[in-house]
Amino acid sequence: MKRRDFMLAAGTAAGALMLPRMSFGAEGVIDVYFSSDQNVIDFWTNVVKPKFEAANAGITLNLVDGGDGAGVAAIGDRALAALASGTDPQADLFEGFDTRVTVDGIAKGLYVDFETAGLSNYSKVNPLAFDIPTNLPYRGSQVLLAYDTTKLDPANVPKTWPDLVAWIKANPGQFIYNRPNKGGSGGNFVRRAIYEVNGNDPSLFTVDNYSADKNDTMLKPAFDMLLELAPSLFDGGAYTSGNTQSLQLLGQSAVTMIPAWSDQALSAIAQGVLPETTGLVQLQDLGLPGGFTKLGVLSNGANKDAALKLADFLLTEEIQSAVLTELGGFPGVSWDYVSPELRERFADLIPQTIPNFPSGEWEAAINDGWYRAVAPNVDPAS
Amino acid sequence: MTMTTPDQIGSVTPARRRPYGLLLVATPVLLVLWLIIWPIISAIITTLWVPTPEGSAFSIETYRFFFSDGYSLSNLSITLWTTGVCAILLLVVCLPIALYLRFSNTKVAAYVQGLAIFPMFVPSIILSFAFIRVLGPNGTVDLLFNAVGLPKIRTPYLTPWGPVIGLVWDNIPLTVLILLSGLGNVSNQAIEAARDVGAGRFALLWHIILPRISNSILVAISFAVLGIFSAFTLPYILGPAAPEMMGPFMQRTFRDLYDPQTAITQAVITFGFCIVFGLFYVRSVAKNRAA
Repeated sequence: MKRRDFMLAAGTAAGALMLPRMSFGAEGVIDVYFSSDQNVIDFWTNVVKPKFEAANAGITLNLVDGGDGAGVAAIGDRALAALASGTDPQADLFEGFDTRVTVDGIAKGLYVDFETAGLSNYSKVNPLAFDIPTNLPYRGSQVLLAYDTTKLDPANVPKTWPDLVAWIKANPGQFIYNRPNKGGSGGNFVRRAIYEVNGNDPSLFTVDNYSADKNDTMLKPAFDMLLELAPSLFDGGAYTSGNTQSLQLLGQSAVTMIPAWSDQALSAIAQGVLPETTGLVQLQDLGLPGGFTKLGVLSNGANKDAALKLADFLLTEEIQSAVLTELGGFPGVSWDYVSPELRERFADLIPQTIPNFPSGEWEAAINDGWYRAVAPNVDPAS
Repeated sequence: MTMTTPDQIGSVTPARRRPYGLLLVATPVLLVLWLIIWPIISAIITTLWVPTPEGSAFSIETYRFFFSDGYSLSNLSITLWTTGVCAILLLVVCLPIALYLRFSNTKVAAYVQGLAIFPMFVPSIILSFAFIRVLGPNGTVDLLFNAVGLPKIRTPYLTPWGPVIGLVWDNIPLTVLILLSGLGNVSNQAIEAARDVGAGRFALLWHIILPRISNSILVAISFAVLGIFSAFTLPYILGPAAPEMMGPFMQRTFRDLYDPQTAITQAVITFGFCIVFGLFYVRSVAKNRAA
């Protein structure tokens, strides 16, 4: 009997521990689901949550790691089912989520239309970042060039693609990019080359307009250009296998310049992985591709109004400046709405455009074509 | 459960004894059938029954593509090259270590043994990044060379030698352990007897030691080759973009080109090469049993 009593007590205790997780979306607790990585959730835990809760007494944030895009998409599907049955979706805000992913979600009014939601800061959002009215861009990340200012004077740093190519050829062995399928920094460098041979017109590429003959006319010239570049790269045509390895080579002073994600480069500098003398620059004729991270707010969430307040809060100068300084990302608002001191500090990074290269069949074509056309024609053992 | 003594077993007819033994091995055999044999069969079927507009039909198209595609073939040949070079280097490095450990009784030998086993406890992803720090451009080796006025080395990082060095280092413990266990079969008496009749060091190695551990060498090489042929992490991080070894090549075909059928074809071909070394191993075990 004693043992049975113990089991009962333990079971009750365990059940009680699980209760808060199973409870319905509580009043005043905004359930935020993330598809982004741990560094973003850390940013919310350490910056967004305390600031928002201090400014809005009685409202707290419950930050939930949705794992990845598919994880959050499943919560979105559940919310759509809850909308149909008029029940509580137990979620309020999706971070790093494209509301298009939920099939029929936008058509059935699952997501708040931010154009009519009356956010006081909505007009500040960077016009380059606008997508559809149910996606609210609040931070961005873009590939840019990171370089060693002790070897390359910032005054002479290339700022257009032709200048960059000329610089790489004039300084053999000082540039490396990673394989396009192994990380976005090299991947978007290759995509920038593709834009270059297609008249710098990102509108030529959409998610569903790839065809085999476009491979020959639009991709092949870019691969030829990259192949011509190969002998001037590090070690006569070597390519690192990821974003981090490129940063490491720059940190070891083995190369002078690499393409890098803005947030990775900025946090690497902050953590001392890259020295303070690292410079960052964006091409001004057409930036290296990147993208904005969006969020969606559920129209049927129990805390919809509080979630909208949170969305509005994210666009304030306080949080947007922190995105730059703490997260190493780009602000989602126009650069006019971050502090002048930060605008000055990141002046070289302010892009004129942020092209966003589509995925779909283009992606496989680039991943296969680059390996066949660019990578092997240099004998790595030579 | 009743226990039987060896005598009783001897008296039981073979027909009655057999089911117990089979029951004991049933779990592993079924697991192997389910998790290994069946996936192999299903993979081979997937690559041979190609979907066509009129339903799936038998075709060797995926294999024909692989063996007529220069890029795929160069990936296969770099894999064979890497495996071969690693196998030779492993023997060259590990045999002296094993011989030293077998015939030395000093305290230093214990430390050498610890050092030789050490790579077993280092995850290969950590090894890869440490490799870039040490042997990579402007790495520790370059710094040391620079300090004594020597020129910089040409780094093996991102060349085919990168994975070779990493894989050899990673496979030292297993190879040393297998060779060491083989050297346990070489009796001190045999060696002393040979010395008494005037055998030199190399005659000793060639005529007394090597013939006794040839089986272990074969087993060690089979094990190393099986691991190296399908290695992923080290060739992926340390190797060149192209040609790729089969491991990264398969993964890229599957995940980045969204082409599972071609990836499975590459896997079946890889398996075909590995099975040859697997058979070497099975044969040597069977030979050992018979002896």
